[in-house]
Amino acid sequence: MKSRSLITVAGATALLLALAGCSGGDSGSSDGAKLEVQTGQAVDSTILAELKTITKKFEASHPDVDIDLRGSTANYESDIKVRLASGNVPDIWWTHGWSLQRYGKFLTPLQDEAWAKDFNPALDSAMKNDKGQFFAFPVDTDVAGILYNKTVLSDAGIDPASLTTWDAFDAAARRLKSAGITPIMSSGKAAGPAGNLADWISPGAYSKSQLADLTDGKFEESTYSKVLDLVASWKKDGFFNEDYVSATGEDMAKALGTGKAAFIFQQNNTANQALTYNPEAELGYIPVPSLTGETPYLIGGEMNAFGISKTTKDMKGAKEFIAFLAEPENAAALAKSAGSIPGLTNVKPDLGVLQSSYDAVVEPGKFPLVPYFDRVYLPNGMWNTMVTTTDSVVTGGSPSVKPAVSTMAKDFDRLFGQNK
Amino acid sequence: MTQATASSSTVRPSPVIREASSLAQGWPPRRRKGFGARRSGLINLLYLPAILLFAVFTVYPLISGVGYSFTNWDGYSPEKPFVGLENYLRLFQDDTFRQVLGNTFIYGIGSMVIQQVLGLALALALDRPMRGRGVARAIIYLPVLVSPVIMGTMYYLLFQFNNGAFNDIVVAFGGERVAWLSQPSAAVAIIVAVNSLQFVGISMIIYLAGLQSIPQTYYEAAMLDGAGAWQRFTGITVPLLQPAFATSVVLNLIGGLKLFDVIKVLTNGGPGYSTNSVSTLIGITYFENQSAGYASAMGVVLFVIIAIFTLALNALLNRRRLEQQ
Repeated sequence: MKSRSLITVAGATALLLALAGCSGGDSGSSDGAKLEVQTGQAVDSTILAELKTITKKFEASHPDVDIDLRGSTANYESDIKVRLASGNVPDIWWTHGWSLQRYGKFLTPLQDEAWAKDFNPALDSAMKNDKGQFFAFPVDTDVAGILYNKTVLSDAGIDPASLTTWDAFDAAARRLKSAGITPIMSSGKAAGPAGNLADWISPGAYSKSQLADLTDGKFEESTYSKVLDLVASWKKDGFFNEDYVSATGEDMAKALGTGKAAFIFQQNNTANQALTYNPEAELGYIPVPSLTGETPYLIGGEMNAFGISKTTKDMKGAKEFIAFLAEPENAAALAKSAGSIPGLTNVKPDLGVLQSSYDAVVEPGKFPLVPYFDRVYLPNGMWNTMVTTTDSVVTGGSPSVKPAVSTMAKDFDRLFGQNK
Repeated sequence: MTQATASSSTVRPSPVIREASSLAQGWPPRRRKGFGARRSGLINLLYLPAILLFAVFTVYPLISGVGYSFTNWDGYSPEKPFVGLENYLRLFQDDTFRQVLGNTFIYGIGSMVIQQVLGLALALALDRPMRGRGVARAIIYLPVLVSPVIMGTMYYLLFQFNNGAFNDIVVAFGGERVAWLSQPSAAVAIIVAVNSLQFVGISMIIYLAGLQSIPQTYYEAAMLDGAGAWQRFTGITVPLLQPAFATSVVLNLIGGLKLFDVIKVLTNGGPGYSTNSVSTLIGITYFENQSAGYASAMGVVLFVIIAIFTLALNALLNRRRLEQQ
């Protein structure tokens, strides 16, 4: 009897372990009424706070749909890839610029939804495939330039509108440095800011034919060297913050908001973060100068967007939730929290502190809007290489340029071959 | 040995007496037919949970990892195209991998050497009777219980440029702030030091156990023969610590070669790729570069390297132990 009980316990334990091991976890959609919405935002982000408010309103008006809205860790991209690989996919997730190239095959096409008629055509090249399909609701149309602190530039006697070439930018940076201001604030600790430097400069370093070569799989090292040479010259001139290696993303926003730094190469939502450190901060953005001497440009495309899994068990509820986000009042609030232009044309932009820059540099249409360089011209998976190699130049200066370019070329070839 | 055998034979009753005694006491109970087989079956069944866990979390990932290393899978798509040995061939021409492999050896061997020297010194010091010995041992061992992520974060707060404790001290003495982690060689050295200091308690405990197993009579005999402290150390302590040495070296070497958490928190592998270990590069290549196949090939190579190191060290240390016996 005793041995029989032991056998039963051992068998049951093994069975439980097997079940635990094989379980895909609670996807949130198994009961058909609870939708898991995986955001990429940290728990204290302005976008997530707005999403929570809107979700509460949605649940009040749709009692049959329960939303499980989730904040993200700092490893959002890795987390979502693991979930895709394991088949444990959220019902709705944040696509952060990759709704077409990376996640398109996992997402439901949304071009036939009622709100889709107001899809901002500026997002077409980034989000639509050649059949006219798109796979995510765009919260915003990302338009980024070089963010700056207006007060700091004004105190140094610098007119931001005059910074249309890198020479003018460098001269302004020297003046700021002599005034005790950090000209360019970046972070080696955060995963991204270093890569943004190269991502912002690169579109202005390549000619159209060279860009076509990149999409055909040819990486020309000499042109990319020019991009990193510019970064190395900033290192040599001492334009970067001294605490670059240990500074965090929050440190960047704080330095911009409090006027300790003049410029940062980040998306506009950093302005909202900067305002949390100094609500009175006067901030703006300028178009990015071109290395080839052409017209400065703005960088844009998809940033904050949400797609619906093809395999969701409650497609109706998921589409209702997305349609609710797309309602003008909600879409406007979300775009404002992101500090960007709405992703739908029927929504009035409210850019807060950045409105005057929008009116000056975006609205007149004088400056072209180019896509994020890494997303369009580099193979999927190159972003980290771009970050790491630029980081090595920010810390190592000119001697690091050649090995950095060589690593970029090597990874370009490998990943282009893999993604073919 | 002889004494022990003699002693046993005097205590143990003869088989006949044992059998008679057992029957009289009714113990052990007479076995029913098939009981042995059922008992053996029960014992085998009790292995199941452990075997299942081992299979699911160790064997399956190992086998699937080897399989992925022959593909160029991106890490999330359903398709896993087979590419044969391409990943391995590419790996041996990869400058970044070579640099990172070099770092890995520095982390493994550097940490192991520091931990042996410090661990043995601390064990020798704290093996002597003294006040506060237990407290000192506990303080040295405590960091082992702390997560490496927390340890790395604490050291990050010490080494950071602004508000870092070390820079505050430098400034207090009239110096200028230092970007401690911006020089690759300095950052690698800091990582080795942090890892060594955190896990030196393991070596200390292993050596303490070894020291306490050496009979005092050996030292007394040596002292009667006029042996000095150094002669006693080299002639008695070191040879008899061989088993402890082997255990400590292998454990610390494997830990250093697999180093991941401290690097992620302290430098995130930077500047550039300069402080990455193979483990952190695997994470970057798998998740960031979306090259799960290539990352798996790195993992297989790291596994083989650790296996070779461990087997070679074990063989070497066992041979020395046999020679000394």
